[in-house]
Amino acid sequence: MPEEKVDVLIIGSGHSGGMAAKILTEKGINCLMLNAGPVADTHKDTEVKPAYALPYRGFKQPGQLPHVFQSNEFNANTWVDEREVPYTYEPGQSYNWVRVRLFGGRSLFWSRQSFRLSDYEFKGKSHDGYGDDWPISLADVAPYYSRVEGIFRVSGRPYGIPQYPDGNFVPDNSPWTGCMQRFVDAGKAKGVTVCKARSSMGVDGLASSVNLLLPDAFATGKLRAIPNVVVRSLTADPNTGLINRAHFVDRISRREMSVQARVVVLACGTLETTRLLLNSGIANSSGVVGHYLMDQIYGAGITCSVPEARDGKSTPQLMGGGALIPRFRNINSKASNFLRGYAVNVFSSGGGVDPRNFAEYGDALNKKLEGYHGSGFYCGIMGEVLGRRENHVSIDKTVSDAWDIPVLHIDTKYTDNEFNMARDMVDTCTAVAEAAGFEILAKNYDPNPPGYSIHELGTCRMGDDPKTSVLNKWNQSHDHKNLWIVDASSFVSSGWQNPTMTILALSMRASEKLADEMRQGNV
Amino acid sequence: MRRRDFVKTLMAASVTAASAVAQKPAAPPVLPHKATPAPGPVPWERGLMELKPLPITPLTADAFAQTDTQFFNPTETATLRRLCELFQPAYKHHPGAIDAGTPQFLDFLTGISPEDQQQIYRSGLARLESDAQQQFSKSFASLDPSQADKIIRPGLSTWMNDHPPAEPFEHFIATVQVDIRTATENSHAWADAAKKAGEGTPNLDLYWYPVDPDLRRQVSSGAHSDQVS
Repeated sequence: MPEEKVDVLIIGSGHSGGMAAKILTEKGINCLMLNAGPVADTHKDTEVKPAYALPYRGFKQPGQLPHVFQSNEFNANTWVDEREVPYTYEPGQSYNWVRVRLFGGRSLFWSRQSFRLSDYEFKGKSHDGYGDDWPISLADVAPYYSRVEGIFRVSGRPYGIPQYPDGNFVPDNSPWTGCMQRFVDAGKAKGVTVCKARSSMGVDGLASSVNLLLPDAFATGKLRAIPNVVVRSLTADPNTGLINRAHFVDRISRREMSVQARVVVLACGTLETTRLLLNSGIANSSGVVGHYLMDQIYGAGITCSVPEARDGKSTPQLMGGGALIPRFRNINSKASNFLRGYAVNVFSSGGGVDPRNFAEYGDALNKKLEGYHGSGFYCGIMGEVLGRRENHVSIDKTVSDAWDIPVLHIDTKYTDNEFNMARDMVDTCTAVAEAAGFEILAKNYDPNPPGYSIHELGTCRMGDDPKTSVLNKWNQSHDHKNLWIVDASSFVSSGWQNPTMTILALSMRASEKLADEMRQGNV
Repeated sequence: MRRRDFVKTLMAASVTAASAVAQKPAAPPVLPHKATPAPGPVPWERGLMELKPLPITPLTADAFAQTDTQFFNPTETATLRRLCELFQPAYKHHPGAIDAGTPQFLDFLTGISPEDQQQIYRSGLARLESDAQQQFSKSFASLDPSQADKIIRPGLSTWMNDHPPAEPFEHFIATVQVDIRTATENSHAWADAAKKAGEGTPNLDLYWYPVDPDLRRQVSSGAHSDQVS
């Protein structure tokens, strides 16, 4: 079979790769998509089972997935096994790298929280002097956010708050439950605005690349896809500087292969994209590839009980529902011991309260669990991690994965800025909850390890200066004009927001620019 | 497009690596694989496609069998068993931890766990036994509930998910309490009792089988999982 040079090679099939495929193919451009893992078919690959029928009674297989706190015995086979694709980190600086290589990637499993970044993130340095501004502003991205929100059917309520930009929402006119209204009122009295959260409804409950983006791309007849191939490296033509070939290995057979492409779009997920660039030795004239790794702090929070919902008195009118406290620190005033800010996820439940919230055991614990059933109220942090050059990844040449590809070494840690932010969140939420009349059952001031949020960001940041950034403002490599990176590695700051809407909007924006450049013969 | 239709479309649109791109020029040619001949005149798989499924409802061994204990020594086993009695007694129509075979299951689970997890259990059980001997001059397994409470209660604390207490004894008590409850509530005996009480099967969830598993991963699964430089 003669070797074919594809127009655009897209590596990765999650939200960013799916959006690139949709936009490019709808503009008539032929694309080939490579994905490191298989195609999952939930009808064939899943079954509803009771925990007692699993080999470990619902416990994880001991030693498996030690850094994937989100895993359990039911879903263990969906995550990347770090025995197969290891990574290393500094002693005492554990990192939770949470990965999915099934076709569709992590877009198959996400929380659906759907937020825009504001200019407090895009232009953070202009506001507080720290770090760098993005080379783009909310006004540049807003039209793309609107289109993405339409595709993902984002439910929301407008508030007119600059740090919580409104969008193209399916109106959320749901009333607050009783406990939420009390929390809203208590927050207002303390200057904390509690809002309705915003969430992608998707279609049939799924808001993934595999049901909202890739079907449109395949329908054009312009997209072909190869699952189960792991890209090892990219090479550049020494004469033109253009990326001309991707080298990959068949996941099952270990057969080494390669493909030629006119344009390469990387959408592997932040750290896999960066690992590929570093292993390839490309796109790094700035020396910035791998630096400024960020994510968001999760894990700090409080668990409460609503007294009026105890002893069988919980009702759907009183309990249930969720809310969001958008960032409120360092907007119009200055916090004493941290920069930037955090948001708070708030939700209540008419179900059981976890036993770990009571210092009891045996029958006494059982009675507590019965009495408190249906009264749980929870607050959790989503906090911005500052972009620091020293938080970085590199290649560990001493360790390789199952396909002999050198692995990533992750060197990152949180500092007092994040720890102080977490403490402020717990104390603030405690004060609001107590003012609402709730009982505090448990508190936690400590963030989970870096990476836990599954929002790894940065390491190929965008910027106007090729000496200090990897990509230009269109997600195009400064060094190789036919290399475009559309995942979250382009981020300059993290914000508190779930990054999915921004990833999708930037991928859409970059792909439309790429299509224009290809039409004009510039790429 | 419905999800199943999408998967079919995707499968149709997906191509194998070999058909989409050329191999490296340097790669050796791949020889066609010859089928292994059957040992006799009848093809081995004849009739299997026509086979009707057996009318079998697979059972789990816990419905009939006990787990053999192999990891903890007799003192540790007795201490763990007493903890199970105290932490999770039978309650209403639910079985207790002893009825659910929890001590034996935790012996199995701890025995195949990483060393740090084993050490949490071994140290914690030893602390309980040591405190019992010091305070009451008898083993923890033979303490009455009020005596045992004097030893356990200093280790009780509230905590949030993923953040168990740092103090070693509190950490052990938090860990073993969650493990005893989980192993009991996820047991066959618990589900059986729920069924007899007219309740639905508890703790049902969507289980994912390995998706197109890589056979080499199976054979290399003993590799180090926690690479730290």
